[in-house]
Amino acid sequence: MAALARLVVIGFVVLTIIYFCLSLYSRSVRKGKLEEWYEEAGRPGDRDAYIDAGLKEYEGSLRRKLIWGVYVVPVVIIAVIIYFTNFH
Amino acid sequence: MVYVKWIIRAALLLLAIAFFHYTLPQTDIARVTDTYEKRIDFGENSIFWAAPDVGNDETLSNRDVFFIQTVRTDGRVMVYRNEDTGWGWPPYFKFDTSNLQAEASDLKSTVEAPKWVAIRHYGWRNEFLSIFPNAFSVREVAGPDASTGVPWLNIGIIAGFVALLLAIRALWRRFRAGRIDPVMEDIGEGWDAAGDAVSKRRGRVRAWLDTWKPKHKR
Repeated sequence: MAALARLVVIGFVVLTIIYFCLSLYSRSVRKGKLEEWYEEAGRPGDRDAYIDAGLKEYEGSLRRKLIWGVYVVPVVIIAVIIYFTNFH
Repeated sequence: MVYVKWIIRAALLLLAIAFFHYTLPQTDIARVTDTYEKRIDFGENSIFWAAPDVGNDETLSNRDVFFIQTVRTDGRVMVYRNEDTGWGWPPYFKFDTSNLQAEASDLKSTVEAPKWVAIRHYGWRNEFLSIFPNAFSVREVAGPDASTGVPWLNIGIIAGFVALLLAIRALWRRFRAGRIDPVMEDIGEGWDAAGDAVSKRRGRVRAWLDTWKPKHKR
Protein backbone atom coordinates (compact mmCIF):
# COMPACT_ATOMS: atom_id res chain seq x y z
CA MET A 1 0.00 0.00 0.00
CA ALA A 2 3.08 2.23 0.29
CA ALA A 3 3.09 2.65 -3.50
CA LEU A 4 -0.59 3.66 -3.51
CA ALA A 5 0.04 6.14 -0.69
CA ARG A 6 2.96 7.63 -2.62
CA LEU A 7 0.84 7.99 -5.77
CA VAL A 8 -2.03 9.60 -3.86
CA VAL A 9 0.16 12.04 -1.91
CA ILE A 10 2.35 13.13 -4.85
CA GLY A 11 -0.66 13.28 -7.16
CA PHE A 12 -2.59 15.38 -4.65
CA VAL A 13 0.27 17.84 -4.20
CA VAL A 14 0.89 18.24 -7.96
CA LEU A 15 -2.81 18.57 -8.80
CA THR A 16 -3.29 21.10 -5.99
CA ILE A 17 -0.52 23.26 -7.42
CA ILE A 18 -2.12 23.04 -10.87
CA TYR A 19 -5.54 23.76 -9.37
CA PHE A 20 -4.39 26.95 -7.64
CA CYS A 21 -2.43 28.22 -10.66
CA LEU A 22 -5.42 27.59 -12.91
CA SER A 23 -7.86 29.28 -10.47
CA LEU A 24 -5.71 32.39 -10.22
CA TYR A 25 -5.21 32.50 -14.00
CA SER A 26 -8.91 32.02 -14.74
CA ARG A 27 -9.86 34.73 -12.24
CA SER A 28 -7.39 37.19 -13.76
CA VAL A 29 -8.73 36.46 -17.24
CA ARG A 30 -12.27 37.13 -16.00
CA LYS A 31 -11.11 40.36 -14.33
CA GLY A 32 -9.55 41.55 -17.61
CA LYS A 33 -12.79 40.77 -19.43
CA LEU A 34 -14.85 42.62 -16.81
CA GLU A 35 -12.64 45.69 -17.32
CA GLU A 36 -13.34 45.42 -21.08
CA TRP A 37 -17.07 44.94 -20.56
CA TYR A 38 -17.15 47.95 -18.24
CA GLU A 39 -15.80 50.15 -21.04
CA GLU A 40 -18.11 48.57 -23.64
CA ALA A 41 -21.19 49.08 -21.43
CA GLY A 42 -20.43 52.79 -21.35
CA ARG A 43 -18.97 52.93 -17.82
CA PRO A 44 -22.10 52.16 -15.75
CA GLY A 45 -21.49 53.53 -12.26
CA ASP A 46 -18.44 52.83 -10.10
CA ARG A 47 -15.74 50.77 -11.87
CA ASP A 48 -14.52 48.80 -8.80
CA ALA A 49 -18.08 48.00 -7.74
CA TYR A 50 -18.84 46.75 -11.27
CA ILE A 51 -15.77 44.49 -11.28
CA ASP A 52 -16.37 43.21 -7.72
CA ALA A 53 -19.97 42.31 -8.60
CA GLY A 54 -18.78 40.54 -11.76
CA LEU A 55 -16.15 38.55 -9.83
CA LYS A 56 -18.72 37.58 -7.20
CA GLU A 57 -20.94 36.26 -9.98
CA TYR A 58 -17.94 34.40 -11.40
CA GLU A 59 -17.33 32.66 -8.02
CA GLY A 60 -20.68 30.88 -8.36
CA SER A 61 -20.40 30.18 -12.08
CA LEU A 62 -20.07 26.84 -13.85
CA ARG A 63 -16.72 27.90 -15.32
CA ARG A 64 -15.32 28.27 -11.81
CA LYS A 65 -16.62 24.81 -10.83
CA LEU A 66 -15.18 23.21 -13.97
CA ILE A 67 -11.68 23.81 -12.56
CA TRP A 68 -12.42 20.95 -10.13
CA GLY A 69 -11.89 18.82 -13.25
CA VAL A 70 -8.18 19.12 -12.46
CA TYR A 71 -8.86 16.56 -9.70
CA VAL A 72 -11.68 14.63 -11.35
CA VAL A 73 -10.16 13.95 -14.81
CA PRO A 74 -6.95 12.16 -13.65
CA VAL A 75 -8.93 9.97 -11.23
CA VAL A 76 -11.35 9.00 -14.02
CA ILE A 77 -8.45 8.29 -16.40
CA ILE A 78 -6.78 6.05 -13.80
CA ALA A 79 -10.05 4.20 -13.21
CA VAL A 80 -10.49 3.65 -16.96
CA ILE A 81 -6.88 2.41 -17.34
CA ILE A 82 -7.35 0.01 -14.40
CA TYR A 83 -10.51 -1.34 -16.00
CA PHE A 84 -8.99 -1.85 -19.44
CA THR A 85 -5.69 -3.31 -18.16
CA ASN A 86 -7.15 -5.76 -15.68
CA PHE A 87 -10.81 -6.49 -16.37
CA HIS A 88 -11.38 -6.06 -20.09
CA MET B 1 29.15 26.79 -29.96
CA VAL B 2 26.65 26.07 -32.70
CA TYR B 3 27.74 22.40 -32.64
CA VAL B 4 27.42 22.17 -28.85
CA LYS B 5 23.88 23.53 -29.09
CA TRP B 6 22.90 20.99 -31.72
CA ILE B 7 24.57 18.10 -29.89
CA ILE B 8 22.63 18.95 -26.71
CA ARG B 9 19.39 19.23 -28.69
CA ALA B 10 20.00 15.91 -30.45
CA ALA B 11 20.78 14.21 -27.11
CA LEU B 12 17.55 15.54 -25.56
CA LEU B 13 15.54 14.44 -28.60
CA LEU B 14 17.12 10.98 -28.47
CA LEU B 15 16.33 10.75 -24.75
CA ALA B 16 12.68 11.69 -25.38
CA ILE B 17 12.38 9.14 -28.20
CA ALA B 18 13.97 6.41 -26.06
CA PHE B 19 11.69 7.26 -23.14
CA PHE B 20 8.53 7.01 -25.23
CA HIS B 21 9.75 3.93 -27.09
CA TYR B 22 10.31 2.19 -23.76
CA THR B 23 7.16 3.36 -21.98
CA LEU B 24 4.40 3.40 -24.61
CA PRO B 25 2.55 0.18 -25.45
CA GLN B 26 3.33 -1.88 -28.55
CA THR B 27 1.65 -4.95 -30.00
CA ASP B 28 3.48 -8.03 -31.27
CA ILE B 29 1.96 -10.97 -33.11
CA ALA B 30 3.56 -14.10 -31.72
CA ARG B 31 3.03 -17.72 -30.71
CA VAL B 32 3.33 -18.64 -27.02
CA THR B 33 5.60 -21.65 -26.65
CA ASP B 34 5.95 -21.80 -22.90
CA THR B 35 5.46 -19.94 -19.66
CA TYR B 36 7.65 -20.18 -16.59
CA GLU B 37 8.77 -18.33 -13.49
CA LYS B 38 12.32 -17.68 -12.43
CA ARG B 39 13.97 -16.20 -9.34
CA ILE B 40 15.54 -12.84 -10.23
CA ASP B 41 18.25 -11.16 -8.16
CA PHE B 42 18.03 -7.54 -9.21
CA GLY B 43 21.35 -5.82 -9.86
CA GLU B 44 22.44 -3.06 -12.19
CA ASN B 45 19.33 -3.70 -14.27
CA SER B 46 16.90 -3.17 -11.37
CA ILE B 47 15.49 0.00 -12.95
CA PHE B 48 14.19 -2.10 -15.84
CA TRP B 49 12.07 -4.29 -13.56
CA ALA B 50 8.68 -3.31 -12.23
CA ALA B 51 7.17 -4.01 -8.82
CA PRO B 52 6.29 -7.15 -6.85
CA ASP B 53 2.63 -8.14 -6.93
CA VAL B 54 0.57 -5.48 -5.17
CA GLY B 55 0.15 -6.22 -1.48
CA ASN B 56 3.37 -8.22 -1.19
CA ASP B 57 6.55 -7.16 0.57
CA GLU B 58 8.31 -4.53 -1.55
CA THR B 59 11.58 -4.46 0.35
CA LEU B 60 13.02 -7.84 -0.66
CA SER B 61 16.04 -7.84 -2.98
CA ASN B 62 14.89 -10.81 -5.05
CA ARG B 63 11.69 -12.55 -6.05
CA ASP B 64 10.17 -14.90 -8.61
CA VAL B 65 9.09 -13.31 -11.89
CA PHE B 66 6.73 -14.80 -14.47
CA PHE B 67 8.00 -15.10 -18.05
CA ILE B 68 6.26 -15.81 -21.37
CA GLN B 69 8.33 -17.43 -24.13
CA THR B 70 7.19 -16.75 -27.67
CA VAL B 71 8.16 -17.10 -31.31
CA ARG B 72 7.42 -14.05 -33.47
CA THR B 73 5.99 -14.20 -36.99
CA ASP B 74 9.49 -13.79 -38.46
CA GLY B 75 10.63 -16.95 -36.63
CA ARG B 76 12.74 -15.12 -34.03
CA VAL B 77 12.11 -15.70 -30.36
CA MET B 78 11.03 -13.11 -27.82
CA VAL B 79 10.76 -13.53 -24.08
CA TYR B 80 8.41 -11.29 -22.12
CA ARG B 81 8.33 -10.79 -18.40
CA ASN B 82 4.97 -10.61 -16.70
CA GLU B 83 5.05 -8.32 -13.68
CA ASP B 84 2.64 -6.05 -11.84
CA THR B 85 3.29 -2.38 -12.39
CA GLY B 86 0.87 -1.69 -9.52
CA TRP B 87 0.50 1.96 -8.56
CA GLY B 88 3.97 2.87 -9.80
CA TRP B 89 5.66 3.85 -13.05
CA PRO B 90 4.86 3.27 -15.91
CA PRO B 91 1.17 4.00 -15.21
CA TYR B 92 -0.41 0.86 -16.65
CA PHE B 93 -1.97 0.00 -13.26
CA LYS B 94 -1.50 -3.68 -13.94
CA PHE B 95 -2.54 -5.93 -11.05
CA ASP B 96 -3.61 -9.07 -12.89
CA THR B 97 -0.20 -10.67 -13.45
CA SER B 98 -1.24 -14.15 -12.33
CA ASN B 99 -4.39 -14.06 -14.46
CA LEU B 100 -2.35 -13.01 -17.49
CA GLN B 101 0.03 -15.90 -16.87
CA ALA B 102 -2.94 -18.28 -16.79
CA GLU B 103 -4.27 -16.86 -20.09
CA ALA B 104 -0.85 -17.09 -21.72
CA SER B 105 -0.44 -20.71 -20.58
CA ASP B 106 -3.85 -21.48 -22.02
CA LEU B 107 -2.74 -20.14 -25.43
CA LYS B 108 0.42 -22.28 -25.67
CA SER B 109 0.89 -23.91 -29.06
CA THR B 110 3.37 -25.89 -31.14
CA VAL B 111 4.92 -25.32 -34.56
CA GLU B 112 2.64 -27.99 -36.04
CA ALA B 113 -0.57 -26.48 -34.70
CA PRO B 114 0.20 -22.75 -34.23
CA LYS B 115 -2.14 -20.44 -32.30
CA TRP B 116 -1.28 -16.81 -32.94
CA VAL B 117 -1.77 -14.18 -30.27
CA ALA B 118 -1.41 -10.40 -30.08
CA ILE B 119 0.77 -9.50 -27.10
CA ARG B 120 0.52 -5.93 -25.79
CA HIS B 121 3.63 -4.94 -23.94
CA TYR B 122 5.99 -2.10 -23.10
CA GLY B 123 9.76 -2.15 -22.62
CA TRP B 124 12.82 -3.54 -24.33
CA ARG B 125 14.57 -6.88 -24.65
CA ASN B 126 18.29 -6.48 -24.12
CA GLU B 127 20.54 -9.49 -23.75
CA PHE B 128 23.49 -7.51 -22.34
CA LEU B 129 21.41 -6.15 -19.45
CA SER B 130 19.09 -9.18 -19.14
CA ILE B 131 15.99 -7.05 -19.44
CA PHE B 132 12.63 -8.06 -20.88
CA PRO B 133 9.54 -6.24 -22.16
CA ASN B 134 6.61 -6.45 -19.74
CA ALA B 135 3.49 -7.99 -21.28
CA PHE B 136 0.10 -6.73 -20.06
CA SER B 137 -2.39 -8.44 -22.34
CA VAL B 138 -2.66 -11.45 -24.65
CA ARG B 139 -5.52 -12.24 -26.96
CA GLU B 140 -5.91 -14.79 -29.71
CA VAL B 141 -5.89 -13.50 -33.31
CA ALA B 142 -6.81 -15.11 -36.62
CA GLY B 143 -3.33 -15.65 -37.95
CA PRO B 144 0.22 -14.36 -38.26
CA ASP B 145 -0.94 -11.61 -40.66
CA ALA B 146 -3.42 -10.14 -38.17
CA SER B 147 -3.35 -6.34 -37.98
CA THR B 148 -2.02 -4.74 -34.83
CA GLY B 149 -4.20 -1.67 -35.45
CA VAL B 150 -3.38 2.01 -35.56
CA PRO B 151 -1.67 3.08 -32.31
CA TRP B 152 -4.10 5.94 -31.58
CA LEU B 153 -3.17 6.06 -27.92
CA ASN B 154 0.53 6.52 -28.69
CA ILE B 155 -0.23 9.14 -31.35
CA GLY B 156 -2.43 11.00 -28.86
CA ILE B 157 0.12 10.90 -26.04
CA ILE B 158 3.02 12.06 -28.24
CA ALA B 159 0.87 14.80 -29.82
CA GLY B 160 -0.13 15.93 -26.33
CA PHE B 161 3.52 15.99 -25.22
CA VAL B 162 4.56 18.05 -28.28
CA ALA B 163 1.63 20.44 -27.72
CA LEU B 164 2.70 20.88 -24.07
CA LEU B 165 6.29 21.64 -25.14
CA LEU B 166 5.09 24.20 -27.70
CA ALA B 167 2.84 25.83 -25.10
CA ILE B 168 5.71 26.11 -22.62
CA ARG B 169 7.93 27.54 -25.39
CA ALA B 170 5.31 30.15 -26.30
CA LEU B 171 4.90 31.12 -22.62
CA TRP B 172 8.67 31.39 -22.17
CA ARG B 173 9.05 33.56 -25.30
CA ARG B 174 6.28 35.88 -24.13
CA PHE B 175 7.86 36.09 -20.68
CA ARG B 176 11.28 36.84 -22.22
CA ALA B 177 9.91 39.49 -24.57
CA GLY B 178 7.97 41.13 -21.72
CA ARG B 179 10.36 40.86 -18.77
CA ILE B 180 13.93 40.00 -19.75
CA ASP B 181 14.58 41.73 -23.08
CA PRO B 182 13.69 45.25 -21.82
CA VAL B 183 16.12 44.83 -18.89
CA MET B 184 18.84 43.59 -21.23
CA GLU B 185 18.24 46.56 -23.54
CA ASP B 186 18.54 48.91 -20.55
CA ILE B 187 21.87 47.36 -19.62
CA GLY B 188 23.02 47.55 -23.24
CA GLU B 189 22.10 51.23 -23.48
CA GLY B 190 23.93 51.86 -20.20
CA TRP B 191 27.08 50.27 -21.62
CA ASP B 192 26.83 52.30 -24.82
CA ALA B 193 26.40 55.52 -22.86
CA ALA B 194 29.40 54.65 -20.66
CA GLY B 195 31.45 53.88 -23.78
CA ASP B 196 30.56 57.23 -25.36
CA ALA B 197 31.46 59.12 -22.19
CA VAL B 198 34.84 57.38 -21.96
CA SER B 199 35.75 58.10 -25.58
CA LYS B 200 34.70 61.75 -25.19
CA ARG B 201 36.89 62.12 -22.11
CA ARG B 202 39.77 60.36 -23.81
CA GLY B 203 39.39 62.82 -26.67
CA ARG B 204 39.73 65.70 -24.24
CA VAL B 205 42.77 64.16 -22.50
CA ARG B 206 44.44 63.51 -25.83
CA ALA B 207 43.74 67.08 -26.94
CA TRP B 208 45.40 68.36 -23.77
CA LEU B 209 48.41 66.02 -24.25
CA ASP B 210 48.68 67.14 -27.83
CA THR B 211 49.17 70.73 -26.70
CA TRP B 212 52.67 69.65 -25.48
CA LYS B 213 53.62 68.38 -28.90
CA PRO B 214 55.05 70.54 -31.59
CA LYS B 215 52.37 71.87 -33.88
CA HIS B 216 53.25 69.77 -36.93
CA LYS B 217 52.88 66.45 -34.92
CA ARG B 218 49.40 67.08 -33.50
